[in-house]
Parts: sequence; C-alpha cells; structure tokens
Amino acid sequence: MQKNEILENLKSAVIEGDEDRARENAMAALQANMDPLEAMQMGLARGTDTVGERFEQGEAYLPELMMAGEAFKAAMEILNPEIKRLQKDVVDVGTVVISTVRGDLHSIGKNIVATVLETNGFHVVNLGVDKGALEIIEEAEKANADAIGLSALMATTMPGQKEVIDALIELNLRDKYRVVVGGGPVTQEWADEIGADGYGQDAVEAATMLTKLLAS
Amino acid sequence: MIDFLDICERAETGPLMTEKDFEMKTFIPKLREVVKEYGVQYDSETPVPADDAAADRVYEASVDFLARVGVYCQDTNRVIQFTEQEIRDALASAPGECLTGEGKDASVFRVRQPDDERPARCHVNWGTIHSSQEMAVNIMATNVAHPEAKAISISSVTNTVRGMRVKAGSPLEMYAGIRCIRVARDACRRAGRPGLPLMNLVPAAAAAVTTIGASAAQFGARPTDGWIIGIISENKIDYGAMNKVAYLLNWGANVGCQGAPSLGGYCGGAPGTAVVNTAYFLLGIVAMRANYHLCFPIHFQHGCCSTRDVLWLVSTSSQAGSRNIPIPVIWLGYMAAGPNTKMYFYEAAAYLLAATTSGADAVKMPTPAKGVKIDASTPLETKFGIEMVKAASRLNRQQANELVIKLLEKYESRIPNAPEGDRYQDCFDVKTGKPGESYLRLYGEVKEELGAIGIPFE
Repeated sequence: MQKNEILENLKSAVIEGDEDRARENAMAALQANMDPLEAMQMGLARGTDTVGERFEQGEAYLPELMMAGEAFKAAMEILNPEIKRLQKDVVDVGTVVISTVRGDLHSIGKNIVATVLETNGFHVVNLGVDKGALEIIEEAEKANADAIGLSALMATTMPGQKEVIDALIELNLRDKYRVVVGGGPVTQEWADEIGADGYGQDAVEAATMLTKLLAS
Repeated sequence: MIDFLDICERAETGPLMTEKDFEMKTFIPKLREVVKEYGVQYDSETPVPADDAAADRVYEASVDFLARVGVYCQDTNRVIQFTEQEIRDALASAPGECLTGEGKDASVFRVRQPDDERPARCHVNWGTIHSSQEMAVNIMATNVAHPEAKAISISSVTNTVRGMRVKAGSPLEMYAGIRCIRVARDACRRAGRPGLPLMNLVPAAAAAVTTIGASAAQFGARPTDGWIIGIISENKIDYGAMNKVAYLLNWGANVGCQGAPSLGGYCGGAPGTAVVNTAYFLLGIVAMRANYHLCFPIHFQHGCCSTRDVLWLVSTSSQAGSRNIPIPVIWLGYMAAGPNTKMYFYEAAAYLLAATTSGADAVKMPTPAKGVKIDASTPLETKFGIEMVKAASRLNRQQANELVIKLLEKYESRIPNAPEGDRYQDCFDVKTGKPGESYLRLYGEVKEELGAIGIPFE
C-alpha cells in the first residue's frame, strides 16, 4: 500500500470508529517503514480532528467520539512501541485525572470531557463516578497528574468539588494541580467560591479550559 | 408475568459485564441497529410531526430495543434482561392511571392522546432551591392556588441547614429531606389545597436512605403522593433505586419512574434519544412497577429542552407513548432563558405546544434558567404555563408545528447565550408576592405578541 493510502485509511478508520481497520493500517504503516509519528499525526489525528469538529457542530455525538477514541488507541498500541524504539519526541500534553464526585452517579458529561481530552493528546485517568476526595487525590498522585477535573450534576453533590480543593490545601498539594469543575448546577460563581482554577459550562468548554490552563 | 422480586433475582443472576462494555458493546450498537431497522428519522423542518405510523414505529423500536439491551445494574455488574413477551405482558397488566391526592384535591392521573381536546394536567412549581424558606413557601403557595393545578413538584427549599451546605448522603440531607416535605404541606395548606399530591418526592434527597427516611408518614408524606425513581443515564439502575422501589411497593405508594436521556450523549441524535426515552416508559413499568412517569429528555450541550431536535423528540416520544403505553407521563422542560425575559416565554410556548398537542398527559410548568440558578423561578411562569396549556389544547399537531416553527425563529439562535433573567426578589414584591410592574408589562407584551402569531389564549 502507498503511504498516502495508509494515511487516508488511518484517518477514515478513526472517523468510522473501526478499531480493526485502525490496527491493520497501523501495522501496514510499520511494514511500509513509515515514520510512526507521521502515521499518528497525519493519519489518526486528522481523523480525531474531523470527528471533534463534527461533534462541536452537532453533527456527531458521544458514541462517534468514543468510538473514534477507541480506534485511535487501538492503532497507537501498534505504533507506540516503535515510537519509543526510535526515541521519537512526542509532545506530552499532560495528564488529567477526572471523576464524578462522591454521591453522584452521573457520568455522561464527564465521559465527553475525557474523550475530548484524549483525542487532543492528553493522558486521561477516568476514575468513574461516586469518588471521594482522598481517593481522587491519591489517584492524581499515582498518575503524576497535571490537572484534576471534577463533575457534579446535583446541588447536593457539588460540595464534593469543594472537598477535593479543601483536601488539596490541607495536604499542601493545592499548587500541584489545576482543578476544573463542571456539571449541570455548577456555575462560574461556585467555581470562584471554592477556589477552582477553571469552570466549563459544557463538556467541550471544560476540555478547552483544561487545555488552556495546562498550556499556560 | 414477572414481578419486582424477579427483577431483584435477575440483578444477581443476569449476564456479567463491565459497565463500559454495556455502553460500548451493547447499548450503543443495539440502539443504532434498532433506529436503522425501524426507520426512525429526524425531520428538522417538522419539529411537531403528525405521523401516527412513525410514532408507532418508535414504540415498536423501543420494545425491541429494551428486549435486546435490558438494564444494567451498577451494584452487581449484571444485566437484567427481559423478553419481548414479558415487556408486552407487563404493558397489558399496567394500571394505566394513578390515584393522587386526597379529599377535594384527589384526582386520577390519566393518559391523553395526540390532538386531545382535554387540556394536559397542570403540574406546578419546581424542585428548585431558594435563598430562604419563606420565599419557597410564598412561591409554592401562590403556584398551587391556581385551581388548574392538580399536582405539585415541591421545592428543595434551601441548600443549607443551619448555615451548613447540604451534602448528598449526609445527615444534613436527611434534615433537608424531611424539611422540604413539611414546608410543602404547609404551603399547600396556606393556599387551601391541603390534599394536593406532592409528585416529585424527595427532591432534596440524592441518597436512597434520605428518600426512604424522609418519606416516613410522620413527616407528612402520603401513599397518594408520588415518588420519582431515576434511571441512571443511560439504561442503568442501582440498588439505591431498587431499595426505594421495594419500600414504596410494600407501602402501596405511587411509584414514578424518571427518565432523562441526553441528546448527544450515548443515545446519539434525536432518533436514538426518542427511542430510548420511550423505552424508559416501558422500563419503569417492567422493572419498577411504576404507575406514572416523569421525563425530561435534554440537549447535553445546551442543558435545555427547547432546541429544535429536543422538541422533535419530545413530540415523537410523547405520541409513541400516548398511543401505545398505558402509563401517564409528566413532561418536564428546562428552558434556557430565565424569568423576566421574553425568550423564556417563547421557549415555554414552543415546548408546551409540542408536548400538549402530542398527547402529553401532564406538563410541568417549564423550568426557567435551566433550573440551576437560585431563586430563578416565579409564579408568573406558572400563570403563563397554565394559560398556554389551555390554548394548546385547542390546537392539533399540524397547527402546533406551524407555531413552533415561528417561535423557534424568535429564540433558537440565542440558546447558546440565553439570558439568565431575574431572580424572584428582583422582579416580584417579596412582601406581597405580586409581580413588579416591569415584569407585568413584559408579560402583557409577550402574550400579545404570541396571540398575534396565532396562539389562541382565552
């Protein structure tokens, strides 16, 4: 297969969320002695960019985003060892630990944020739902994270976001992490009140906010 | 026919699966299959369709979908499955109505049909938070004083107890749960409506232990009130929800299933979300023995229910349910704009037109400012909602569609940056409970405007 064909296949495999096709073409890229970084940036990442744009336009939704992310990861499992072997410089965008706080079982918004961050090159540790402050902080420490994202969808679970920030202060870890909060009842006023670094009115805005904070 | 104990058993014996596999390998692909097989399609030019065959296809798609997917129990990591026959048997034996309230305020909550000339049941007030208990009481009492109000969603009152912020699952939440019921009963008594059913119990409670504890009869709850038990998005349940069901079934109280699928989340676009919303009516009957339902399918990005695609799915799912599923449904819409804005009334009018003409059995007065701003709800929104419901009952779906298209032109582009509006104390006289002059003026202007485009107010 020609290089351009492989790159197009990688892009379309991600757009279609086809993990098998993504793996096959990642293998083909290596067999064709292509630069694995080029395969990632000019193939896979163009696919995630396309899906991301469609998502923001309301033409694609969470399933397409998640399936694109899974296809991207599947191909990267093939390409990553070669990238490391060749000691290629991959820009480390950052590590984010994301969770819905204690007492709250809602996950969709958080998962959208996680997926958008992953497709933008972040390493995301998604803790799921109903997690307490100390558990979140412990995972952030283990992952050597740069940021913590906290989701709450009810007025009575919002205090869980403040708990995480208060615990970070008490443990003298506040300056180590950027904290972004979001969720239905969460507002900029609440984020300011509890000392969060950023607030996202919706999932895409939260991901954008995290990206900006970590770039600064 | 399966009963709730069968559900309990299947939660322990159903197929084992990770939650992620349920989402990615069962829910999403099966929903896509069903949407394609049944030809469920969104028409952006027709937000209020009048196609009975299409509505019936959505119903059949929802039965098939639920039979293919089941419901995921988060506590046991197992899928509770049903056959199509079990779903149809449960529908055949569903009561189809529920008795609510007491004394003079007792009423039967029944199913309507699309284009029904009977007005939808008016469900007033919101489960929102206020900055003071007195304000919550004043607003609730004013809202329930309307004779058209047949049920109330009680306020969560405030989000603090003795100055301390209420947290889910904490003892403070128990105090808040008990308080919101007692305060609501007082408000209803003050308005001369002591028997009015409280149909959103318990709004101040996130934890099951709070719902169950606060619902003890000595704190004011009655079996003719209604409890809403939420499906976890999407298509999931947990032991917290099932504990509430077990308690209520043993008491003989009204069980309301609550579904709020996200358009743009796992359901994808409008077609998938319509199928899932309709499937939730079935899930309530089959898995919770629910005798009523409350739903608010919502746009995940804008956090409101007044976007064109959500209006379409509200209309479509309401028609599918009303024509085929014997369970009365309360339709709740979150509006992007807040009180004392014309945009709120445009959105509310569009929502109520779509829902009412599509057979909504009851409508909650549309919630202002997405329900997230403290004190952002006033009795003038209730008054408008009641007037709109009556007007909408004089129209059919085709007429409603033309009006909704005109209304969308007025507000659709402003949804992403909708005005928050005013708080109650900014546009109402807090002492007298009467609207301020500027809000009354705006109200008069917008009613005239809406009347001019063809909404048949009395």
